[in-house]
Formats: sequence, C-alpha cells, structure tokens
Amino acid sequence: MDSRAAMLDPAVLAQILWTGLATSSYMVLFTIAFALVLKVLKLWNFAQAGMMAIAFYVMYAAVNHFNWPTAAAVALGFAATLAATLAYEVLGLRTLRARRSSSLLFFIFTLVCSEFTAYALTLIFGTEPVPLFPEILSPTRIVGSVAVSNWDLLAVCVTLVLGIALALYLRLSRDGQFLLAVSDSAELAELYGIDAKRAYVVALTIASVFACAGMYLYGSRTAVIPTAPLQLMLFAVIATLLGGMGSVVGAILAAVFLSLLQSYSVLIIPSQWQGLILYVFLFVTILFFPNGIHPGALLRRLGLA
Amino acid sequence: MSFKRRDVLKAAGAGALAAALPIPLLAQGQTLKFGLAMPMTGSQSAYGKDQVAAAQWAVDDINAKGGVQGRKLEMVVLDTQADPQVGINAVNRLISVEKVPAFVTAWSAVVKAVAPIANREKILELSVGASSPEVAQLGDYVYTTFPLADVDVTAVATYAHDKLGKKNAAVLYINNDTGVDAAKVYKAAFEKAGGKVTVYEAYDPKATDYSGMLLKVRAANPDMVHIHGLITDIPQVLAQMRQLGLQQRVSTYSAGYNPNIVKQLGAAAEGLIVTSLAPGVNDRPQVKEYVERWKQKEGRVPNGLPYTQYLYDAPVMVAQMYDWLLKQKMPATGENMRKALLGVKRFELPMTGVTEVDPSHRVQKPVYLLTVQNGSFVPLATVG
Repeated sequence: MDSRAAMLDPAVLAQILWTGLATSSYMVLFTIAFALVLKVLKLWNFAQAGMMAIAFYVMYAAVNHFNWPTAAAVALGFAATLAATLAYEVLGLRTLRARRSSSLLFFIFTLVCSEFTAYALTLIFGTEPVPLFPEILSPTRIVGSVAVSNWDLLAVCVTLVLGIALALYLRLSRDGQFLLAVSDSAELAELYGIDAKRAYVVALTIASVFACAGMYLYGSRTAVIPTAPLQLMLFAVIATLLGGMGSVVGAILAAVFLSLLQSYSVLIIPSQWQGLILYVFLFVTILFFPNGIHPGALLRRLGLA
Repeated sequence: MSFKRRDVLKAAGAGALAAALPIPLLAQGQTLKFGLAMPMTGSQSAYGKDQVAAAQWAVDDINAKGGVQGRKLEMVVLDTQADPQVGINAVNRLISVEKVPAFVTAWSAVVKAVAPIANREKILELSVGASSPEVAQLGDYVYTTFPLADVDVTAVATYAHDKLGKKNAAVLYINNDTGVDAAKVYKAAFEKAGGKVTVYEAYDPKATDYSGMLLKVRAANPDMVHIHGLITDIPQVLAQMRQLGLQQRVSTYSAGYNPNIVKQLGAAAEGLIVTSLAPGVNDRPQVKEYVERWKQKEGRVPNGLPYTQYLYDAPVMVAQMYDWLLKQKMPATGENMRKALLGVKRFELPMTGVTEVDPSHRVQKPVYLLTVQNGSFVPLATVG
C-alpha cells in the first residue's frame, strides 16, 4: 500500500479525529471565554490574551520556581488571573462605560491591556519559550488502533466538564439566567432589577476560569512566550466570527470544526498550508457571512438538529 | 609669526587627506570597534544571549591580555530578535551611528536580510552560525566563519545511510529559511548516498500540532526521520512522534545539541543524533576550560554550546584582522577589513581550531556527530 492510500486507512482517519479533537480542546476553551464576554459585555476582549499570559506565567512560576504541586499552582494561576480581570473591569472598563466611550475606544483599550501585559511579563520572565512542566512528553496507550495520550484524555475531559458545567450554570442558575438577560439587553435587564455590573463580573470570572484551564492544557504540551496568547486569541476571534457573534454554542462548534478541518487538511494539502485555512475562513466569513454562519441555526435549517 | 605659502598648502593638504579618510587610521588610544547583531529578545534569545556572553568573554580576555597592539577591542551589541526587519535596523545603526567597519551576526533570515546593506556600504559582515547554504552567495562583503548546512546536514545524511544502514528517510522541516534549504541538502545527500526520501514535509513555524504530518510518516514507515526545525519546535515534533508510536531513530542538526531537549523529552530523546561543528571537551583542552567557566559563572552549560564556541572565536578573528591592519598601517574601513580577512586567511582560534577563509565564502570543518545515551550527549562519530 502506498503512503497516500495508507493515509486513508480508517485507523489513520480515527487518529486524526482523536488528535484533532484533543488539540481543539484549549482552542474551544479560549473561544468560550472570548464568545461569552462578547455576548454579555458586548466587548471584543483582546485583553483576554493578557489574562491568558498571566494565568500561564503564574502557574509556571509556582511549579518551576516555588515547586508547588500542580493543583495549588493552578489555583494560584486562577486567583491571579481573576484578580487581574477584576482590576481590568473595575478600573478600566467601568471608567470607559461611565464616560460612554465609543466601541473603538473599548477595543483599543483591550488591545493596550493585552500588549501591556505581554511587555510586563517579558520584563519579568524574559522571552525564552518555556513549557509549564519540565517534561512535555505525556504517557500514551493504544486504544483500538488510536494512540491516546494522558494529555489528550485530560484535555478532552477538562473541556467537556467545563463546557457542561457552563451550560448547566447558564440554564439552571439564577445568575446564569441574569447573564443571558443582560446579554439580550443590559438596559432592559436593569429595569427588571438585574445588576448588570454583577453580570459583567460573573462573565469575566467565568472567562478567567476558561482562559486559565486553556493555558494549563496548552502550556503542558508546548513552550510559551509572553506574546503567544495573542496568536492563540486569533483562533478564538475567527471561531467567534464564524460561529455567529453572540452565539457561544456556535463559536464552540466553529472552533471544533476549524480544528478538525486543519487536522484533516493534511490528507489533501502539505502541512505548512494548514495555518492558511483559518485566514481563508476569516476572509470568506467577513465578506459573505458578516453575521457569522451560526452552525446551530444552519443544522436546524437542514433538519439535522 | 609668518606663514609661508608652502606651509599653508601642506596644512591644507593634510586636512583634506584627514577629511577624506572615512575612519582615521586607528589613532593611538582609540578602541577597535566592531558590531554584534544577535537576538537578545524573542523566541531565539536563549541561544542569542549565551552567544553574546561568549563573544563578550572573548573581548574581555583579549583586552585583559593587552588588547591588539595595546589597543582595546570594543564590541557594540544590538538586538535582532532573529527577525530580518529588526536585524536591518540594528545593522543600519551599527554602520551609520556606531561606524563599525565589520559586524558579526547570525540566523539565516537576518544574515540574508542585512547582506545588501553590507555590500552597498562595503562593510564586512561575518555570519557566525547561520547555516543556510545561500549564505555563501550573498555578495563580496559577506563571509561565514561557520560551516554551512550542506556540511553537517550532508554528513548526518550520509552517515545515516552508509553507517547506520538506513535505506529510506522522512525529512520534516520548518517552513522558513533555516528549514527549507537544509531539507533540500539532506534529501540530495541521502539520495546521493543511495537512499530514498519517502516523506518530505514542511510545517508551519507557528504550528503546535504536528500529528497530521507525523501520520504521513507513520503511513510511509521510513527507517529514519530527520527533523530540521528550531529549538522551540524540535522537542514538540519529537514528543508527538513518540506519542503516536513512531519509534524510528531521529536525527537533527546542531540546534538539537541542547541539554533542554533531553530535559523536556526524557527517555524519548534516547538515540537522537545531533551534529556539532565544533570540537567537544574531549577534543580540545580550551573547550574543557571554557565549559568549566560556564559552569562556574552561570552554573550550567550554554545553550547551543558549539554556536557559543564560534561566537567566542569571532572577536578573536576580528582582533587578528585589526592586528593585520595595524601592521599594514591601513585605516579601519570595511574594504580594508575584507582585505584583512583575506590577508590573514588562516586563523588560529581557541575554541574551534584552525579556520581557513575560503574564496568561495565557505569554511570546511570536521563534523562531530553525537547521540543521546542514558540522558546525555555522547560522541558517535567524527566526519571529515
């Protein structure tokens, strides 16, 4: 069997599917964080890259400089990210809201926060790429004919658990309902006695959890530099645009779709072209689907959901 | 006091001559300047900073021994971030502000990007570490002191076929100047030796998931895998390769000769073949002292030890060129530094041995192959 035919072997296709799903995990987490903030705060929150960088470097310092156990390092990473996020909301975003600043100014402010954080972390930690743990190799087992690493399992489980928890929270909890109400109309929600400021804080807190979890998964697989999160954010932005702005579920489906598309593309195109696919989709979406594709609505229209 | 017409003309002539010299002839007490443009920040800074440290040690050592004919050597260091545009800015500053007649730089993309400036301004550019074979064809003022990729990559490809008996290989390379040229060299050398390259695949420099490419390798099932990337991605490619169950022996080039790779990969690094273009601690006593110095000062071995050896030797070469200029009583211009390089021709260097400047803008050195055994790099063979 030649190597082209061998690539179409079911075992290879299953491996691409599994690895693609596992790799999409942290992208899905970043996308959820970005899409939720966009939905509730109506904010293109590029400062999320700064929060992601803080999460990673605090965990990195706890593990490598202070020899903290992983759970404690993750807790510290989350605490630091949350503290930075709340400071950003209270000192920055609220000030801009009070001044009724334009959307453009909000956007620029988020970018400035992101760049400022990257610079500050560069000064503290330098620019040498560092992984979260000294070893990046994860033990692997063969399930059927598919290689499944511990990292893959962890990534998929963490993403599923957090995704389901968020869905339940939004559907079943009072605060979750308030978030959805504020996302529909903050002014109207306030007329009904819902505290929009609190809803913003809750949305940013949830985004911090997802950003921190995503950076834990990403950093335990590969080395990170302070500017890396901004590149990762681009994927989240494209997935959010593609999935339909304001639709968290759409953004999640788009993130998984893009990830799998990139993975399967190696069957047709050379590996170095994989990155281009994202930009092609961004280009097509902005030109032809300015409000996003809304995968959920598309599936419903096709009678598949 | 009266002036004769002849005295006035003499004084005017001397003044005009002095003004015509771009850099006056190495005046007594004046430092002997050269530039060093390296990545001090950015993803390659782990290498760049150690290389700058090595060069600075050499400058300090030369000056501690009295400098060059009593004059101090002065190195002006600027950051390139291993980025061509930043490199261009750095080199422009070295030439127009710092007025250096020669500068040292590295990283293929930067070396290529700044070459037109060196040629236009007639300033000597010494490439110390860039391995792209194209470096030899960048113009009259660009010389390498480091063997180009065709030397060590050819050696490792030929060794894999001839000595290890590998008949087919996969070549995985980063899609930039470092990877593309070297991958071509590996493929040509392996096929010339009689082998067959069954997978020839580039990956995106920003990629973090290599499984698609590695599944192509698994499907082709080669005897050997050569990875030509950067220190940031080689460990990840290798880790994901092992996780997918690929157990083929892996080779890479001098970038892989880094203790961090072994630390990050643990047992998965066993058998990895790397190249070194500089003698090791057992080959040369000066290298042993140098490594001890690193351990004493920094508590570690430098990142990319062989590269730092070449960077230590670079100021020594510059000092020998300045020595030649002083003996010839020539001003320190880029043109004269080039003449000095070709005039000295054979340089005795403490860390890498004899270097002969080749009219073809190349240097030939032995290639030292090493492999990871029980968590350490051990000598495998010396080629050439």
